[in-house]
Amino acid sequence: MKLILRFLPILAVWPLLFLLSAPAPAQVPETVCIQCHGAQSGRLGEPVRLWKGSIHAANGISCHGCHGGDPADMAMAMSPERGFLGKPAEEAIPGFCGRCHVGVKEDYLTSAHGRALGRGGPQCVTCHGSHAVRMATPDLINNRDCTRCHDYGRANEIKSAVSETDRRITELEQSLAAMHRIGIATREMSGELFALRNRFHRLFHSVDVEKVRSRTAAFQSELGTIRGRVDAIEEELKRRKLWGGAVVALLVIWGILAWLLHRSYMDDKKAG
Amino acid sequence: MEVSSRRKFLVLSLSTLGALVAGVAAYPLFRYLSPQPTGGEKGRVNIPRAQVGAGQAHFFQFRGHPAVVLQSAPGVFAAFSAICTHLGCIIRWLPENGEFLCPCHAGRFAGDGKVLGGPPPKPLQAIPVALSGDNLLVG
Repeated sequence: MKLILRFLPILAVWPLLFLLSAPAPAQVPETVCIQCHGAQSGRLGEPVRLWKGSIHAANGISCHGCHGGDPADMAMAMSPERGFLGKPAEEAIPGFCGRCHVGVKEDYLTSAHGRALGRGGPQCVTCHGSHAVRMATPDLINNRDCTRCHDYGRANEIKSAVSETDRRITELEQSLAAMHRIGIATREMSGELFALRNRFHRLFHSVDVEKVRSRTAAFQSELGTIRGRVDAIEEELKRRKLWGGAVVALLVIWGILAWLLHRSYMDDKKAG
Repeated sequence: MEVSSRRKFLVLSLSTLGALVAGVAAYPLFRYLSPQPTGGEKGRVNIPRAQVGAGQAHFFQFRGHPAVVLQSAPGVFAAFSAICTHLGCIIRWLPENGEFLCPCHAGRFAGDGKVLGGPPPKPLQAIPVALSGDNLLVG
């Protein structure tokens, strides 16, 4: 009973340790942009509320990361002298987002979508939204959104071509995250997977179904290589569990034998 | 069973089991402390010098990972891992700007691997490079 009581606090904090091992979201300092706009209602406050749930907020990208300006000086926050850009014109949006998303911009600009920019063609915000930007998935290609501009047939073909590979990428990301949580060094593989995911998502932006189909096999082969490494680590973990169990069993047997040996000496002592 | 032979059996069993457990416990420690194979001479990569023009970069595989060798000025060579230190994308060389660019989030690196801008937290990992006749010996 005493033993149970002694270990009770450890058992109580065990779930907490799991929570602490989860990756913490990036801390975004409260800039003057957020202080001012966050306190406003309606059109001027809405972007802050939308941004708070975005992938940009989760990675520490704040207002000035895209819109420029001085996030530390209330008076000069929106001054062009401090690089404030404000809201870009529709034709300028790919260039605006493409300052960071360089590769995606290149593929988009050479695509049918990019060539139609300024003539009713979609730009980044049309599909991804502006402030509530989430991690891109093939679900962004859907009947409701694509048919705002054209027939869904070709878009659906692209979605079918990318969905299986994207599912495998997501599965691998989950396996790596699970391994990371138990202390396995996954940085190198995570980097490789991130790079692959980025290149694969760039391919979507070409909106060229033949190109997507012809290159998917190469991506799947690369994914297979990373999967093989992940599977090897998972196998190793299983083996370790097995050996760990065997060691515990051996220790129990060792304890029993030691007790028997001890008792044989005690019996001798009693017998005098 | 006689007491002394019983004890002998127990002691022998305890010693054998103890040695077995010690071996099982020591093996992972030995494996952890053993030096990682670096590939030695075989891990080095030979690149014909003519493949890397002045102001140009040449990408290749180094120990299973993408790498780049650059001739930043005539006769001055430097080699780096081509993996961006931000999230792991593969950088590319922009000869017109004389810098490396990561296409994922616009991380920029100078010809000596230092961060010029964007999100990368540290410089590109340098790899030793030496001239050997008409070849560059990387690694």
